[in-house]
Amino acid sequence: MDYIIHLFILIGIFSILGLSLNLVIGYTGLLSATHAGFYGIGAYAVAILMKNTGMNFFIALLLSIVITVLSALVIGVVLSKFKDDIYALGSFGFAIITYGLMLNLQGVTRGPLGIPGIGRPELFDISFSTNLTFLILTLVLAVLVWWMTRYITRSSYGRVLQAIRENEKTIQFFGYTTYWYKLSIFMISAGMAAIAGALFATYITFIDPSSFTLIESIFMIAMIILGGLADNRGAIIGVIIMILLPEFLRFVGFPTEVAAQMRQVIYGLMLVVMMLYRPQGIYGKFKF
Amino acid sequence: MNSIIPQIVANSIIAGSLYALVGLGFFMIYRTVKFFDLGYGALTAFGGYMMYWLLTLLSVPTYIAIIGTLLLTAMLALIMNRLVYRPLRARGSSNMVLLVASLGLFTAIQAIIAILFTSQFKTITIRSLQETVTLFGAFITHTQLLMIAVTIIVFIGLSVLLRMTRFGASIRAIGDDEEVAKIVGVNTKNIVSWVFIIAGAIAGTAGLLVGLDTGIEPTMGMQLLLKAVIAVIIGGVGRMYGVVIGAFLLAFIENIAVWHLSGEWKDVVAFSVLILFLLFKPKGITGA
Repeated sequence: MDYIIHLFILIGIFSILGLSLNLVIGYTGLLSATHAGFYGIGAYAVAILMKNTGMNFFIALLLSIVITVLSALVIGVVLSKFKDDIYALGSFGFAIITYGLMLNLQGVTRGPLGIPGIGRPELFDISFSTNLTFLILTLVLAVLVWWMTRYITRSSYGRVLQAIRENEKTIQFFGYTTYWYKLSIFMISAGMAAIAGALFATYITFIDPSSFTLIESIFMIAMIILGGLADNRGAIIGVIIMILLPEFLRFVGFPTEVAAQMRQVIYGLMLVVMMLYRPQGIYGKFKF
Repeated sequence: MNSIIPQIVANSIIAGSLYALVGLGFFMIYRTVKFFDLGYGALTAFGGYMMYWLLTLLSVPTYIAIIGTLLLTAMLALIMNRLVYRPLRARGSSNMVLLVASLGLFTAIQAIIAILFTSQFKTITIRSLQETVTLFGAFITHTQLLMIAVTIIVFIGLSVLLRMTRFGASIRAIGDDEEVAKIVGVNTKNIVSWVFIIAGAIAGTAGLLVGLDTGIEPTMGMQLLLKAVIAVIIGGVGRMYGVVIGAFLLAFIENIAVWHLSGEWKDVVAFSVLILFLLFKPKGITGA
């Protein structure tokens, strides 16, 4: 039972990541690999604030969203000037720079040692220390993110994003400054990733840079490409399949080290097969 | 203080040669098919591991091991093209689809290598190459001299091939416009296959040289690939000598930075250089 709750918590956290990344990749058509970086910045911000100042989780969460959105502003100012493969490449660069900072700013992050003993969230008298209560918190936040992405994508703002994806030049002729749209959706998406990071940090209660590498971004990209770009249902389906699939490998009896690598093989081949046979994913409305 | 400068210059030249070598293969592919083939990174790791497998595990004579490594890596490159890139290109898929597919191939191949050979760091030893010579007060191993020599040979070889042969003219024709090249009677399928074979062999060479110089691990491909991409971009995407200039510039900046900061900051510096170039000089030094 505990194991099933654990899987649901993971699905909840990654759904937040998938939904928010879908705003940038699916709706706006920008292949960003920096998402794991924002996920990490959010996680580190919450962990450091809670451990060093004894701050309440929810205040730390709000602050971490602010910090992550500001980092996204710094990165987005540069990245939003690009499109297509140069955008992707630039985002690779930022993913590696972010990871490098987590690893090397040892005064702040303790580098490869990571931050242990992060507390579970508490709100007044309610503690989210058991996995079941934590799952409820995760689901509430995931639903909140779902609702926000739904609202964003159905607004006139969301329609401009999709126009940028279809043809950036054309929408520019209509007088839209696409730069601001690309920058703002990047920041919104990063803020949501910070929520996932905060949940991850307080759920596992330990973080180190290895959870926020470029490969982790690739996993997230694989999830939403499988489920379908520019579709919220698709993002969730992709996350569920991608989280559950590797778990079966453990039941088949692969040793842990091999199972972890098998996960990467599956993710990689999944990307190739989807590109070959169904580039828009299971539910998707858009293909590159 | 002064005694360290020759060593920094030597290290920069060695690193620059390696980046240039990897970059040249990557450039060959990009020049012809016009997409960023991230799978190329996995080829370098594959090359390193094939050398390790043939030389250390099977104890095959050195020369046969080298030839075997090049053949196997070239074959893998050819298979990747046949099974994934060619069908996608035939369908007129966008660069982004190809980029994602190549990312998938990269992830899968890297993980398969880790499953077959574990993710432990491994070294390949050829005793005669480990000796050190002193040049202008800098220590250089025979492996590193070999690396520099191989890069020069590959560069000259490719220059002759591209400029002076019919094959080179065909590559340039495909790079400019594949449809027109087909119409005037260039066997595009065949030429593209050969490009992948040559690039694969170059990746294999780079991989085995890295194995002899520092050692191999499955994740080495991403490092080499990204450095090659940076070299190609800061050198100016259109010209082959640009790759070499970009590679050496990157290597010098990295090594000077490492001298002032420390080794861990190398990647952060390299990618900051990439971002700065994308921002201020997106066409690179040679500006093609």
